[in-house]
Amino acid sequence: MKLRRIVALVLVLFAVVLPGPAPVMTPPAADAQGMDVFLNVTGGGTKKLNIAIPEFTVVAGADTAGNGKQLASVTGADLTFSGLFSVVAATGTIPANNAEALRRSWTDFAAAGAHAGLHGLLALRGDRAEVEMRLYDLTNPDHRLIASKKFEQPIASARRLAHKVADEIVMQFTGERGIADTKIAYASGPRGAKEVVMADYDGAGAASVTRNGSINLSPTWSPDARSLAFTSYKQGYPDLYRAFPFERRPEQTLAAFAGINTSPAFSPDGRSLALTLSKDGNPEIYVLDLVSGTLRRLTRHAGIDTDPTWAPAGQMLAFASDRGGAMHVYVMDPQGTNVRQLTTSGFHTQPRWSPRGDMIAYTQRTGAHEIWVVDADGSNARRLTNGGGDNQSPTWSPNGRHIAFQTNRQGRWQIYAMLVDGSAQEPITKNAGDSTSLSWSPRLP
Amino acid sequence: MHSRGAQLTVALVILGVLAAGCAKRPATAELASAPAPTGAASTTPGSMTAAPAPSSSESATAAPAPAAAAPATSAPAAPGARPSPREFVAVAELKDVFFDFDKYDVRPGDAKILDANASWLKSNDNLVLIEGHCDERGTNEYNLALGERRAKSAMNYLVSQGIQASRITIISYGEERPLCTDKTEDCWAKNRRAHFLVKPR
Repeated sequence: MKLRRIVALVLVLFAVVLPGPAPVMTPPAADAQGMDVFLNVTGGGTKKLNIAIPEFTVVAGADTAGNGKQLASVTGADLTFSGLFSVVAATGTIPANNAEALRRSWTDFAAAGAHAGLHGLLALRGDRAEVEMRLYDLTNPDHRLIASKKFEQPIASARRLAHKVADEIVMQFTGERGIADTKIAYASGPRGAKEVVMADYDGAGAASVTRNGSINLSPTWSPDARSLAFTSYKQGYPDLYRAFPFERRPEQTLAAFAGINTSPAFSPDGRSLALTLSKDGNPEIYVLDLVSGTLRRLTRHAGIDTDPTWAPAGQMLAFASDRGGAMHVYVMDPQGTNVRQLTTSGFHTQPRWSPRGDMIAYTQRTGAHEIWVVDADGSNARRLTNGGGDNQSPTWSPNGRHIAFQTNRQGRWQIYAMLVDGSAQEPITKNAGDSTSLSWSPRLP
Repeated sequence: MHSRGAQLTVALVILGVLAAGCAKRPATAELASAPAPTGAASTTPGSMTAAPAPSSSESATAAPAPAAAAPATSAPAAPGARPSPREFVAVAELKDVFFDFDKYDVRPGDAKILDANASWLKSNDNLVLIEGHCDERGTNEYNLALGERRAKSAMNYLVSQGIQASRITIISYGEERPLCTDKTEDCWAKNRRAHFLVKPR
């Protein structure tokens, strides 16, 4: 019955994390142990699950680079970013294979308010690093082991181990894997000389994707997180290409028609790409079949049609169009029919359908630019940023709980992220140059 | 060790709560989350790699080949018909025209500039590249579309004055190549332009 206690505790803790109305939730069919929780969520709050993360214990090899400390720190930052956890500060490590020392540590952490404890065991073998995570429930005196799991990476990408551990912890407490093991791709550099780079979702480890010395824009991840479509002037004109940043593989040309070739958006199954082409006279939305190479035109209108984005099941697309005067967000089916205007009053571009399907984020221009979201049925439009500068290019985290965007609120364009209710707006990049035109990857393979 | 039955149930309940908190419609929220592109999240990390088709390592080499080739072949106008922008140079006789914020129609006062450009082009049989530019206000992809429309407006005007359309190529730089980088209306006005370049036939 101890199990039920932690269960109840966790439910209460999480129930108050997210603001919103008061849905009455009943759990799925009770299992063999007879769980019967009936939860009534009332109102917002900031209560989070407190987790203790001491430095990881090195159990093999010599940790000359301080990985044990760094991995604990990155895991803690990932869990803090999730908005669900509060990290209980700690110094020192728990010795390996010492049950009594572990018990004493967890007892102390529990006394300091920790509900859960993470013990990371780090083994360094040649150029490989392996982490075993052991997650404990500190709300009962037995410090029950909730989960243990091992991850391995080349030591050069040891940081990913922390992201994977954090994502597993989120999985243990929410049933859905976290989003720390993801990348953000963006255009870096001044106007006239932008290259595509990618970094961890938290901005660390930026690495070049393109190095062609021209203008590169709008990198967009494929659903398998292995490739990026982007617009580049590397052959002189704004054409669409595809890069494979994790492989030694040449870039492909996706579309090089007369006029603009912009706004790539992979379909959820990865088999086709929605894009904007002006080859037939003015900017229209097309779908390119990536296997057969056939091109299908979706919009036929004298106005500007651009910024296509797919609903997560691929059954609809949203796009931005000035066919009604100012730019607004419209939706249509993948045949280009059943076009419906979703937003009114204002000037809206860059719609981005949430991975949960329930919302569409977009950029509204009212003097400055702000990030808004609207429910997928067109109701409940609300502003998320009010940042003093411009805020553009929203992109969703794979779980739909965060939106990253570019803002110049501190001068240079930098990437920020926030929770989907607009709270916790924090910088992701602190680069010397401008960082713009971003795309958050799906979970990495 | 982990994933005991009751705990999984709990996890589902919590997930439901989270989804409801985001979506405001608990019933549809869970449905909507099911077919998400990262729906493979419920599988193991290992099987993630095989998820959507085009780039799983085997199909990757097969699929992209036609993808790369096909658009090129289905765009017969593209190769050859697009001279490299680098081959074009500015000439003092061809003047820029400017546009109002968010507009792409030729301003009445600028028509005489285009008349003069057309007249010079009639006596100088060059190819013409018209660049369309925007100020920094506006999002990237929209500005690429707007810049294209500005270049096209200028092109249409020249054609109406008797310049052969086949001599003219247009390119949009959106907001990517500003003349002026201050955040003032004066500066923005200088950036909202169509710029003319030529190269000998």
